[in-house]
Amino acid sequence: MGMVLYMKKLTVIFILCLLGIANSQAETESGANARQLVEKFQSELLAVMKNGKQLGYSGRYDKLYDPVTSSHDLTKIARIVIGKEWEKLTEEQQQKLVDVFTKLSVASYAHNFKDFSGESFTFDSLEETARGGVVVHAHLSVPDDKDVKFDYMLKEKGTSWRIINIIANGVSDLALKRSEYTTILQREGFDALIAKINEKIDTYSKL
Amino acid sequence: MAMSKPYSSNPDSKALQIFRHLIIGSLTVALVGCAATKANEQQIVKSKTDPYENINRKVYGFNDTVDNYVAEPISNAYKKITPQFVQTGVFNFFNNLKNINVVINDFLQGKFAQSAQDTGRFAINSTVGVLGLFDVAKKVGLEQNNEDFDQTLAVWGVPKGSYLVIPFLGPTTTRGIPGAVVDTATNPSSYVGAPVQLVSLLNTRASAEGSLKFIDEAALDPYVFTRESFLQWRTSLATDGKQEASDFEDELIEDDSGAKEAVNKQGSSLGLTAGDKKFEQAANAFKNVALSFEQTAKSFEDASNKAATLKK
Repeated sequence: MGMVLYMKKLTVIFILCLLGIANSQAETESGANARQLVEKFQSELLAVMKNGKQLGYSGRYDKLYDPVTSSHDLTKIARIVIGKEWEKLTEEQQQKLVDVFTKLSVASYAHNFKDFSGESFTFDSLEETARGGVVVHAHLSVPDDKDVKFDYMLKEKGTSWRIINIIANGVSDLALKRSEYTTILQREGFDALIAKINEKIDTYSKL
Repeated sequence: MAMSKPYSSNPDSKALQIFRHLIIGSLTVALVGCAATKANEQQIVKSKTDPYENINRKVYGFNDTVDNYVAEPISNAYKKITPQFVQTGVFNFFNNLKNINVVINDFLQGKFAQSAQDTGRFAINSTVGVLGLFDVAKKVGLEQNNEDFDQTLAVWGVPKGSYLVIPFLGPTTTRGIPGAVVDTATNPSSYVGAPVQLVSLLNTRASAEGSLKFIDEAALDPYVFTRESFLQWRTSLATDGKQEASDFEDELIEDDSGAKEAVNKQGSSLGLTAGDKKFEQAANAFKNVALSFEQTAKSFEDASNKAATLKK
């Protein structure tokens, strides 16, 4: 009797192990998809940088609009960035925030990656987080300068992966924006936040 | 290369290194000075790491003004009249001297291999690199490491304490103050005349130009932007970039609203009435500094105990 019970237990453990293996293989596949998405975006970014001078700011903005919006989950980012305040906004305000936030994201790429001098992205490693996210660790090599570490945090959206956060040299864009945006919302309110974001977009277009 | 590199150079350059030597003196002046000013702005939700935000914002504003009207014009003039290769040489020279401090802190953190490597770096640049004017070590693959006593304290388990903005010096934490005192003491350029220190300051401001410009361009609220990037950057250095940022991000993402707000609420409910508060804050800041010193002393004790056990 004892023996049978023992065998049963072993079988259960064995099945669990099998499931575990299958599960970890599925995870590896999702990791590969996440990596693919990041690398596609990086190559699109480099391509724009290479033609950056001829394109000019508005050319870069137009060329980057699709790559940025299809690889980043900007609605989710905007929501995380303002935290609890999101619930207090009207639907109209939420839409407004997502709109200007999207423009700001594309504008800051168009502004900060304006030309090419031999930069390249290199993939370093993949990490799967406890809550089903994937982190793609990579770095940007800049000739005659220190490498910049880029860690991309991704979450699954429907069937594809989307970038939720970028950590550059240990500084999290999401945490940084969250602190800024919630502070402004609390101190000055929604309209001031939108005005400040629009001001930034304007500055980026002129520099 | 026109891409501004967000965080690659020191966000605290304007900061910690400028007028490093005035630290304690100016802290006293500032806290006493600010304690005397009247509090009239509305109570704002406080962050746990920044309980002195009201004072800090004022000092930040002051530093910004000093930078705009004094440091930046002088630094721009320096950049204009100094050829690039001289600027690079000056940067390399002071950077090389810092390696003495880096080696000491490698050692204190138990990074013996890195300590040997950084000693080699210092030796090569001081000899082949003509007293450090040329960064030869980089060309043979010895990258510059960034270690300081504040990071050592972090490795030893001293908590970072509160975020503080010091007049002329910029952002630090209570742990950063004893850190900066030790770093100043172990840097040879602290012991030479004022003209050399002035050049060091100019060089620091000039090489921080990129970061400062980036803050100007990217920040919606420059104070918060500086605070968050400073704190994150220091944490990342202290853990050598190995901290599980992703776990924190995970929480941030999942728990869109929960914990953080709770922390904030607790922070503001600790508030006292406006008048006494400034004094209370100043007193607390002093207490924290003293506490940090105490923890530092204790860490020294722990470290020497550990060393003693190792010997046996």
